Order: sequence, then C-alpha cells, then structure tokens
Amino acid sequence: MATNNTILQVSELKTYFFTRLGVVRAVDGVSFGLRQGECLCLVGESGCGKTATALSILRLVDSPPGQIVGGEIKYHNENLLRSTGARLRQIRGNRIAMIFQDPQSSLNPVLTVGEQIMEPIRLHLKLGHRQARDKALSLMKQVGIPQSAERMAYFPHQLSGGMKQRVMIAAALSCNPEILIADEPTTALDTTIKAQILDIFRELKQQMNMSILFITHDLGTVAGIADRIIVMYGGRIAEAGSTLDIFDQPKHPYTWGLLNCLPTIAERREKLSPIPGMIPSLIDPPEGCIFHPRCQWRMSVCQQAKPPEYVILGEHIAACYLYQKAPASAGL
Amino acid sequence: MRRITEVFGGRRNLLFSGLLLALLFILLLDLFFVHHIFSPFVYFYLCFALVIVFYGIYPLYVSRRLTRYYWDRTKRHHLAVIGLVFIIFLVAVAIFGPFLTQDPTKVDFPNKNLPPVGFSAEQSTYDRTTGQFITRETPGTWLHPLGTDDKGRDMLAMLVSGTRISLQVGLMATLIAIFIGLILGVVSAYLGGWADNALMRFTDIMMTFPFFLLLVFIVFIFGPSLWFIILAIGLTGWTGTARLVRSESLSLRTRDFIMASKSLGASDRRIVFHHLIPNVLSSVIVIATLSIPGVILAEAALSFIGLGDPTVTSWGLVLQAGQRSLETAWWIAVEPGIMLFLTVLAFNFLGDGVRDAFDPRSQV
Amino acid sequence: MKRGGLQNYIIRRLFYAFLIAFGVVTVTFILLRVGPSSPADKYLANISSRTQDPAKVIEAVEARYGLDRPLYQQYFNYLVSLARGDWGWSFSTSLPVIELIKRHWIYSFQLILLSMLFASSLGILIGIYSAVKQYTKTDYAATFFSFIGISIPNFWLGIMLILVFSVQLGWFKTYYDTGLPLFSLANLKALILPVITLGTGMMAGYTRYSRSATLDNLRKDFVKTARAKGLPEYIVIGKHVFRNAILPIITIIMFDLAGVVFGGAYLTEIIFGIPGLGRISFNAIFANDYPVVITITLIGAMVVLLTNLATDIVYTWLDPRIRYD
Repeated sequence: MATNNTILQVSELKTYFFTRLGVVRAVDGVSFGLRQGECLCLVGESGCGKTATALSILRLVDSPPGQIVGGEIKYHNENLLRSTGARLRQIRGNRIAMIFQDPQSSLNPVLTVGEQIMEPIRLHLKLGHRQARDKALSLMKQVGIPQSAERMAYFPHQLSGGMKQRVMIAAALSCNPEILIADEPTTALDTTIKAQILDIFRELKQQMNMSILFITHDLGTVAGIADRIIVMYGGRIAEAGSTLDIFDQPKHPYTWGLLNCLPTIAERREKLSPIPGMIPSLIDPPEGCIFHPRCQWRMSVCQQAKPPEYVILGEHIAACYLYQKAPASAGL
Repeated sequence: MRRITEVFGGRRNLLFSGLLLALLFILLLDLFFVHHIFSPFVYFYLCFALVIVFYGIYPLYVSRRLTRYYWDRTKRHHLAVIGLVFIIFLVAVAIFGPFLTQDPTKVDFPNKNLPPVGFSAEQSTYDRTTGQFITRETPGTWLHPLGTDDKGRDMLAMLVSGTRISLQVGLMATLIAIFIGLILGVVSAYLGGWADNALMRFTDIMMTFPFFLLLVFIVFIFGPSLWFIILAIGLTGWTGTARLVRSESLSLRTRDFIMASKSLGASDRRIVFHHLIPNVLSSVIVIATLSIPGVILAEAALSFIGLGDPTVTSWGLVLQAGQRSLETAWWIAVEPGIMLFLTVLAFNFLGDGVRDAFDPRSQV
Repeated sequence: MKRGGLQNYIIRRLFYAFLIAFGVVTVTFILLRVGPSSPADKYLANISSRTQDPAKVIEAVEARYGLDRPLYQQYFNYLVSLARGDWGWSFSTSLPVIELIKRHWIYSFQLILLSMLFASSLGILIGIYSAVKQYTKTDYAATFFSFIGISIPNFWLGIMLILVFSVQLGWFKTYYDTGLPLFSLANLKALILPVITLGTGMMAGYTRYSRSATLDNLRKDFVKTARAKGLPEYIVIGKHVFRNAILPIITIIMFDLAGVVFGGAYLTEIIFGIPGLGRISFNAIFANDYPVVITITLIGAMVVLLTNLATDIVYTWLDPRIRYD
C-alpha cells in the first residue's frame, strides 16, 4: 500500500539470469515500497533473490548473464529502469547509496581509504581537494574510525574487517543519500563487530532520517533494526509486515519454518528443526506456489497457480492460499 | 621379485626400466660389435617411443573416464580441434611424405628458380651464342608443383623434409625440457630447505640468460648437429617448467591428501611418484603443448641464420635461401614461412584449448 | 614494511642480483671449457694463419688468456679481467671488444626501445579495450589477431615485409643505412619495418596479458562499489581497474625480456642489417671471434638481470599490499 511517505516504489520487478543451463528467475514479480526514514529488511535464505532485487534498484546487475526483464522501480516518481545512464550515475552514491557484503573485496586494494571516501564527495558535491578531505575526516569520525587523520592514508588491507566496513559506510553516506541499500553488511563480521555496525545503522536512521533497505538472512539482526520486514522465497515475496506482525503473528508457513529454526535461550528443545526439503531450482521451478513441495499445509490449489498476496491486517500480507478468504492486497 | 617391484615404484616402472636397459644393451652391441645396423636416430626414437607409451598412452588408457572428460572439454574449443586436425595432417606428411616426393637434396641447375604451379616468373638466362641475357617468362610445371629453389631442388620435397625435422625437434626437445623441469621442480619442492634454495638459484641463473642468445652460444661451442640442437634446446628450455612444477608441488605438499598418505605410512618416493607427479601432470601437459611452437621456431631460427644442421633440410634453411632470392624467386621465402606459421598457429590453438580444458576454474 | 623495510629489501635484492651475476659468469666459463673443440683453438688457428710469426703470436695470446695455466687460475683471471673492463680483443674487427660494444650498442638499444614502446602502448590499450568489450566482435577480432601475431615467426615477417614494401613497392630500402644520423627523421623511417617486425610478436603477447589481467579485475567486487558510487565508466576502468591490472602487466612485460625480446632483436638485426650487438655477435660467430661472442652473451644476461632487479624493486615499491605490510 503506497503511502504519501513512499520514496521508492518497486512494482512487479523481474530479474532473470540467462545462463547456459537455463534461465534463472532470480526475481520473479516482487513489489514493495520504501518509506522515508524507515528501515525495511529483506529476509530470506541464500538464493531467494534478495541481493538480486537490491542490485536491480541501482541497475548494478552483471549484465551479460543478468537482465531486468520487467517491472518498474520508481524513485520519487521517476522510473529508474528507464533512466539514462547519466541520470543513473547522478543518483548512485548521491541520492541512493549501496554497500556490499564483503568489505575486503569491495574496497580497491591499491587506493587509500581516504581517497575512496573522497571519490563520491568530489564527484557529486564537486568539492575541492581540501574541503573533500575535511568532509571525509568528519565522516570517518562519524562512523567511529579512530585516528582518522592517520587512517586516511591507509590501504584497505591495513584495516580490520569492522573498520573496512565503516569505511564503506562512510563513503556511502558522504553525499547524504536519501536511501541506503545495505547488502548483508554484517554477515562477514564477528559478532561483537556486528553489533557495533548495527548501532551505526540505528544512529543513521534516527539522526539523519535515512531510509535503509537492509538485506540479510539473519533474523536476529532483523529483530534489532527493522521497522518493516519482507520475507522472500524463490524470487517472490512470501510474507511482509511490520516487525511486530512478523515476529508475533507470522502467517506464512515458510516464516513459521524460519522462526522455528531459531534457537532461543528461553525455550528448551530437543533438536533444531530445520525446514524439510531443499531450495527449489530457480531454472525449473515447481508449478504453483513455489514453496508447496516443502509445505506441511499444502492443498491441491497450491500446486496449480501462484498465490496472490492476501491482506491479513493493515500492512501485514502473506502470499498463501491458507488465507484465500482474505481480500487480495492492492500492493505494498 | 616383489621387493624389486617395490624398489622401482611399481610394475610399470619396472617394465619400462627393463626395456630401456635392453635397448641400451643393443645399442652398445651395435656400436662396438656389429657396426651400425641401426643409426643412432633409431635408438633415440625408440627411447622416446618407450617414454610416450609407458607414461603417456598407458595412463590415458587406464583412466579412460578422465581422458574422456578432458577430451570432451577440449573438443568444445573449435579452434583447438582445427589445430589438432592440422597437426595430425602434418604428422602424416612427416611419416609418409618422404616416400611420395622427390629427393630434396637433388640439385638440378637447368630447372632452377621455377615458380609454383599457376604462377610464372621472369627468368634471365645467358645465351652463349648471342652473348646476351635473354629474359623469358617461365611458368610453373606440375613436375615441381611448388616450384624449385635457386639450385633446382624441388620445393615440395624440401617442405616435406622440413615437416619431419620440425616435428622431430619439436617433440623431442620439448620432452627433454619438460622432463628436466619436472624432475627438478618436484625434487626441489619435495626436498625443501637448502637443496630447494640451491636448485632454485640455479634455475634463476639459467633464466637470466636470454634464451636465444644462450642457444646460439651453445651451438657455437658444440657445433651444429641436429642432435646437439635438440639437446641444446632441451637444456635451455626447462626453466619455466621447473618453476611452475615446483610452485604447484609446494602447494600440493601441504594439501590434506598428501598428509593423509603420509599418515598411512607411505614412503617419500611413493608420495612423489604416485601422488605429486600425477597431480602436476595436467599443468605440465599444458606447458608442454604451449612450448612446442617455441621450440620449432627456435630450431627454424637457428637454421635460418646458418647455425642449423646443414645436412638436413629444414624450413629455416629454405627460408635462408629465400632471403637471397627475394627479388627473383619470392616463393622460396614465402612457402616455408607459411608452413612454419601454420604449424605454430596450430600448436598455439591446441595449447590454448588444452589449457582451458585443464583449468578447473574455467567453464568450458 | 614502511620506509626502512623497503631499503632493506633493496639491499637484499642487490646482493642477490650480484650472486646471480656471479653464477651467470661461472656458467659461461664452464660452458666454454667444456666445449669439444674449444673456440679458443679455432681462435688461435685463425690468428696464427694471419700473421708472419704464428708461434710467437700463439704464445702471446696464450699468456694473455692464461690458456696454459690450471683451470682455477684461468677462472680467476677471467673474473678479474671482466671486472676491470678488459673484455678481450676482437681480431676480426681489430678492436678491443669493449670498443666494439661502445660503437654498436646504440643500434640495438634504439631498436628494442622503439619496439617496446610500440608494442606496449598498442598492446595494453587493445588488451584493455578487448577485455571491457568482452564477447563482442571487437574482442574476437583482437584475440584472433593476437593469436596470429604470436604465431608468425618474426624472422619470416621481416622478410615478408621487405618483400612487399621494399622489393615490390620500393617504399623502403632493403638494408639499414648506417650513415644516417641517429636522431633524424630518416633514421626513424628506416626503422619502421624493423620495429614492426620485432614489435608485432611482442604486441600480440602484451595484448593477451593485458586482456586477461583486465578481465580478472573486472570481475572483482570493488568494481561494483565504484559503479555504485556513480562514477562514470571511464573512471571505473581507467582508474580502478587499470591501477590494479597494470602491475602484473608491467611485471610480465619486463620479465619477458629474456625470452622474446632479445631473441627477436637478434634476428631482426640480422635480417635488416642493423649493426647492433646481435649482428656483431653473429658476425663474430662465423669468424670464430670468440671474445666477442662471450661478451655479448654476458651482456645480454646482465641486462636481463638488471631489468629484473629494477622491475622487482619498482613493483615492491608500487604495490601497497607489499610495501605497507
């Protein structure tokens, strides 16, 4: 349900990868909206299409195999999928910024850290060298890099994982973007560092009113930071809603499986209960609901057609025939 | 009996060494007692044939599935297949050609400088009666389909002879170089420490000499006979292989399957022969295929500048004659060059295909 | 590694280079003495046939080269004379070898320098372009031509070029004119065919290296980061990818010197009649003038050694991952 506050609206996005073995439908009809100042989390297992969705927004998908074949991505009413290259470059790093999973490989090893932070500043804000440097220093302080003046001349391999990720964040924030897309930013880090980085994100959201699209497979992280959650499976949305909705009243069988898998300190259980079965092939997906082969509650209708998104309550939707009595969603 | 087999590292090695010794014995007999029934060439060939059969063909036969796998991957490279087809054609020419063509060394002055069939060239001959030079258009004839050189030798025959030489040199010199490099590399990696250091310094020293200059130097000292040339090329070209084999062996040495072997009590020799060498073999095959063109060119270059074996007709030698006659008989220079070019190209195609096929990371 | 570390590295590397130089000289000496008909004998035979009083000359030469003394003493004298700059006497040209080298090295140098400039500038550019436009027709064409380039025997290419451009078309002379002043346009023109001959094979190789080095880097994650910042593509390639790819490319080019470049230059000089060190050495071989041959072989090895040393140091200095460790 698009509200007045929505700054990014994704509609029926389809991104396919054309490989020698077949067409991989990584993103197969995904729609959602991102509002100002909110943190929206895309959650799911590896291969469910969340990274491909994020990359599609800025059109960073590797183009020989991958291609965006359908849908619209509207940023303030401008369809990014139809923008010119020049316009896209204006937006990237400037209005919409993105950080990636592995900071070691995402930073250029032969350029200093300071230079890599200053790059977008000089490009988009058109500042001179001295001013850009000052701004970079203040950014480094903001993300919590100590001894910033010294560290500016460091090369990426001289920094620890947490520091490198902070550098990435600093570079992403440099032009005060409206939207920050973070693709599994904490996955490659130690637990204690994870917490620190998440703190940074929380601050960003509060102090700068930044919208964050946070992609992860770790539900624990999600709980700490998300306002709204979208659970993806097999290239489509399984369930979406506010954090409370999803954790308190999950409706989709896949979400049940996900939450059931979580070990908790409070409960005492015999064994972990994973979701039975395996991730479906995205080249040759099963007919009907893509989750039905692994679903305990499947019905005959599930094998026939893909379920639409049904409204549970307010913004809480689930794409499951268990709720077919509910009205179909008009879109998020 | 079993003890002896163990010492040799397997039945195959035992059989090979036995046959090799037998061959050596016959050679000695031949040299000292029976006076040369077979020329030394034949012994060299048999030697190499033994090596190829025992360590090339037999392993391929035993692990058929693996061979099939690599072959399938190589097949996908169309260029590599074209190269292979051309090489097979060359091998056929080398083996059967000399029986079908004229004698490449037969000099025939009246018929000198004939162009190839389909072309014609101006020839000036001195007419004794009038005391003047008469210029005539001479067309090519089917008697000498590719023409003749400035001494009347048939071009086709010379090119065929050259094919044989180039392939021989290519194959044998490469085998020598690969063999030396392989042994040095594996031993160096396995021994480690002081020996490794010394061997690698030695390799560095040899690598510092520019390849061609060193080759010329050696031929200058030892004389230009075909066997020395093959040896010389082999003795100067092993450095790249040694380096690569050593680095691969080093990385393999710390791999788990070697440690597992050791913990099961395998001896050093067994580990080296049974585990290390087969695993570096794939890289070695790639290097070998890619070295052959360089070797062929080296021999041709040597012949071209006059340091080759003057008793054999190689492409380089014909090219040398060609440079002298550029203005009168252009085909003498063009034809051997084309053969060289195509041969080298074919091996490069094949080598590239083989390299991609053996690289586990590339998706063919 | 910091500054002090770099200095230490240079010192260690210099010492190592010195060791290798020593080894090179030793191997050369061994090869000489191991040879069947020692070139010294042929040399002596040549000398004695040219003078009135052969016995006296032979004695003088033997004394000079110490051929009558034990092996280790010969070795020592050899080392000493090399170090002192006394590199022997070339009887075929009646000059001290060192003088011969002084007169002729410039020809080899200009040929090699121009060829490398030609080959590397074109080769690297084409390679990068080819990698960026992978799988397009341009890429296939460039790859195909580089295959052809490395397969053409460079001595044959030289002859073909002479055939077409000098014999048939008459644009160039068939032989290099040594009378031309070095820094003149006419000299440059005369060098065009030789540079193309030597440079084509090199360029083809460089194209392949730079293509593969660029491809390796194009797949890396930092390229995605650079694009995500909104940087224009020419900066992504020209700054980010290039600076990562150029290090291995330069290294390979420099270390290739020993194989491709010197051998090719040797042949090119012979074909075009350029009186560089290669041609001098070649003439000396047929005149059995062995001090010249030895010296030029050693010079070749020393140049390779120095180039490797320089490349190693420059690479260590340039790659931040090694320098700041």
